[in-house]
Amino acid sequence: MSIEEIIENVNEILVDEFEVDIDTITPDANLRETLNLDSLDYVDLVVSIESISGVKLGEADFKEIVTFQDFYQVLFSKVQQKEA
Amino acid sequence: MKYILVTGGSRGIGRAVCEVFAKTTDYKILINYNANKDAAEETLRLVESHGGSGEIIAFDVAIKSQVDEALGNWQKANPEAWIEVLVNNAGITKDGLFMWMQEEDWSSVIDTSLNGFFNVTQHVIQKMLRKRYGRIVNMVSVSGVKGTPGQTNYSAAKGAVVGATKALAQEVAKRNITVNAVAPGFIKSDMTKDLNEEELVKFVPANRFGEAWEVAELVAFLASDKAGYITGEIININGGIYS
Repeated sequence: MSIEEIIENVNEILVDEFEVDIDTITPDANLRETLNLDSLDYVDLVVSIESISGVKLGEADFKEIVTFQDFYQVLFSKVQQKEA
Repeated sequence: MKYILVTGGSRGIGRAVCEVFAKTTDYKILINYNANKDAAEETLRLVESHGGSGEIIAFDVAIKSQVDEALGNWQKANPEAWIEVLVNNAGITKDGLFMWMQEEDWSSVIDTSLNGFFNVTQHVIQKMLRKRYGRIVNMVSVSGVKGTPGQTNYSAAKGAVVGATKALAQEVAKRNITVNAVAPGFIKSDMTKDLNEEELVKFVPANRFGEAWEVAELVAFLASDKAGYITGEIININGGIYS
């Protein structure tokens, strides 16, 4: 899966799951604030991402993530590790 | 299809919970057992005799890998099923004076009665969070709220579950998941069959041991949608022995 495919798939599922406008999802936007995530919402996020990528994100992964760009990068490297 | 999972459902209070749910609800009943398959099958037969339906499922609540494998396989085989009610009932006792207690008797009781709560609840709650509804009822004990001499291990484990019940209730309340605990006193079951009922009953204001079905009815209420505003509570059911 290329990073472009990841971005497209992730954005699609985020719009659907968190009912946000696609225009608010920009690489530099803050993930937590844009999606209005509280601590329990991370469960939904993890399950959604697992359903499209097969990758399960953990608490440690989210410590590195602030923006959507960070999110795509973490996911991309995890997907690559899985495919290797 | 909505299920209730009762750990340690093959005997005693666990069996009574399965029976009451079979009689009073539409839930399918997932009866967990560890060692006693015959008893679990008997519970299933009783459930069916009350017009309910269910399945038995084997795992040791004390072993996380077993819990995850058994429940994971069950979920794969039943993709439409979800566990809406979890009754953490499995528990063991290894009584003895603290000064003589073997480390194994301490740790095995903690592994089943405390870590079992973690192992099963953490697996089941993921889907409850996604579905934004759930009921968790933890079977604790008067030992866990009052402390019982000769049961420091059991009292410690159940007391810890009391704390976990209150904490988890606050974490997940926003998602319509309630977490409560039921603390029985002397209840007629295999766990109390070796006790001297005639002597002990003198300490019980109600002047009798409780029946397993009485505890089960309380569990059923806490697990119903009528009890949606009760969470983080520890409800004593002990004939007045401690309040």
